[in-house]
Amino acid sequence: MDSASIYYLGVTLLLFLVFAAIVARTYSRKQKAKGEQPKYRMMDDDYPSDEKKGGRDVRRK
Amino acid sequence: MNQQEGYADDIVKGFVIWSMVWGLVAVLVGVFISFQIAFPQLNFPPYLTYGRLRPIHTNAGIFGWGIGSFMAFFIYITQRLTRTSLWSPGLAKVQLWLFNVVIALAAVTLAMGMNRSKEYAELEWPVASLVVVLWVIFAVNIVMTIVKRREEQMYISLWYILATLVGVAVLYLVNNAAIPVSLTKSYSAYAGANDANVQWWYGHNAVAMVLTTPPLAIFYYFLPKATGVPIYSHRMGVVAFWSLIFMYLWTGAHHLLWTPVPDWVQTLAMGFSVMLIAPSWAAVFNGYFSMNGQWHQMRENYLVKFLIFGITFYGMQTLQGPSQAVRTFSAFIHYTDWVPGHVHMGTLGWVSLVLFAAIYYTVPRLYHTEVYSVPLANVHFWLVLTGQLIFSITMWIAGVQQAAMLNATNPDGSLHYSFIETMVELYPYWHMRALGGVIYLAGLLVFLYNIYQTIAGGKAQAAAQRA
Ligand code: HEM
Repeated sequence: MDSASIYYLGVTLLLFLVFAAIVARTYSRKQKAKGEQPKYRMMDDDYPSDEKKGGRDVRRK
Repeated sequence: MNQQEGYADDIVKGFVIWSMVWGLVAVLVGVFISFQIAFPQLNFPPYLTYGRLRPIHTNAGIFGWGIGSFMAFFIYITQRLTRTSLWSPGLAKVQLWLFNVVIALAAVTLAMGMNRSKEYAELEWPVASLVVVLWVIFAVNIVMTIVKRREEQMYISLWYILATLVGVAVLYLVNNAAIPVSLTKSYSAYAGANDANVQWWYGHNAVAMVLTTPPLAIFYYFLPKATGVPIYSHRMGVVAFWSLIFMYLWTGAHHLLWTPVPDWVQTLAMGFSVMLIAPSWAAVFNGYFSMNGQWHQMRENYLVKFLIFGITFYGMQTLQGPSQAVRTFSAFIHYTDWVPGHVHMGTLGWVSLVLFAAIYYTVPRLYHTEVYSVPLANVHFWLVLTGQLIFSITMWIAGVQQAAMLNATNPDGSLHYSFIETMVELYPYWHMRALGGVIYLAGLLVFLYNIYQTIAGGKAQAAAQRA
């Protein structure tokens, strides 16, 4: 194997690990409630939640 | 800006209306070129030939109708999902004007025969440069709106929106790299097989980043809105999103099977194309499972009909596509009319059905009124569905027949049919395709009339309230 092939293999493995980490995090038990929250919150998004336009909401940490 | 709600919705109205205008142009030209194929005497050189009109059809369809309405709905959706008004409504106005200028320039320059000969990247460098400016304006506005969001977490549609913004920028810049030799002519920065590889890396990811991620963003937003029930699984949506993003970028060379592009590149593209079934169908299942206990809405709610048929065509598209990406099947159907059958199940079935639903949902809300006629919306649905199915099915049959003829050999191994003999056999299918196109056009006209009346009704009510 030349160095280019080793590099490609490394990048491939890295991408795979990143993907595996995303899956593991998304499906971790700790994330369950939080991960599903947006689908409920989007249901009542037709009006801005307060009169101030723009800017970060206090709910954001 | 719509002061009452705090959202910049006037600009959404502008994009919706102009995308419908370009959508009508795309379908009119599409129907005309389908007649040109069926009746070659309808070619009038130099401007009204198939060669000049076909790229006008695809550019008006994908960029005018597709991107135009994606711009509308990205602005609409992003504001709502972030609970934030658009970062810069002024910039969005500039974007709307520039968008129309670009599409009009595209139509004029292509009619004049200025063409880079790269599919979906035909525009010569001055117009392509304007596209870059347009995209930067759009992307900055949406990204800044997301940055100042008031929702901590991002709903899945926002992920698809971000992927589109980044993906299109990278693809467009790389594939449009060219050396200009005059104001109207440039040469690709790449040569030979490299050029082909870059072109189809771009070409297939135009399918990914223009014909897949934006309609998915729109689908994930409007299905729960239309049914009143949340999406089945947000987490499945997130995992499907990332796997789609990891896989799509490797698949371009499935357009170049059996070509001088290195074998391993082709095999890689083939492998990733087959793997793409998983994330694609995760979105389809997410849609179907969201309908648990709600299937009666297919009868009662016309929006749901558009959306569920749309995602069903996406599902069929993403089974057919991977099959086409397998070497043996590609050897059979590549270079035949099978491919336009595939393309139009995606564009007319998947993308347009979802866009119709989104327009039906938003226009009455934007104009504070009700949709003009639900029965007309149903007529629209059945006409476009019938037109599209006639189109796709006849082209698949035509493709199989053509493929069989192209592959037929004599006992000594020579070809049994000449290319032109295969063409002659296809006339009946081309006539039927033109008929399918006319039916689709009729459906589109019903839709435009319905939306026009809805807007007129909304304006009349607003005027009455003011009086
Ligand atoms: C898993 C997903 C998909 C895969 C693997 C796939 C695969 C393919 C392949 C292999 C071709 C080339 C056929 C040939 O020329 O031999 C093709 C063409 C095409 N596909 Fe798909 N497809 C997928 C989904 C879609 C979707 C969702 C759309 C949306 C509209 C779409 C639109 C197109 C278009 C426009 C072309 C024509 C490109 C050209 O001009 O030659 N595809 N696809």
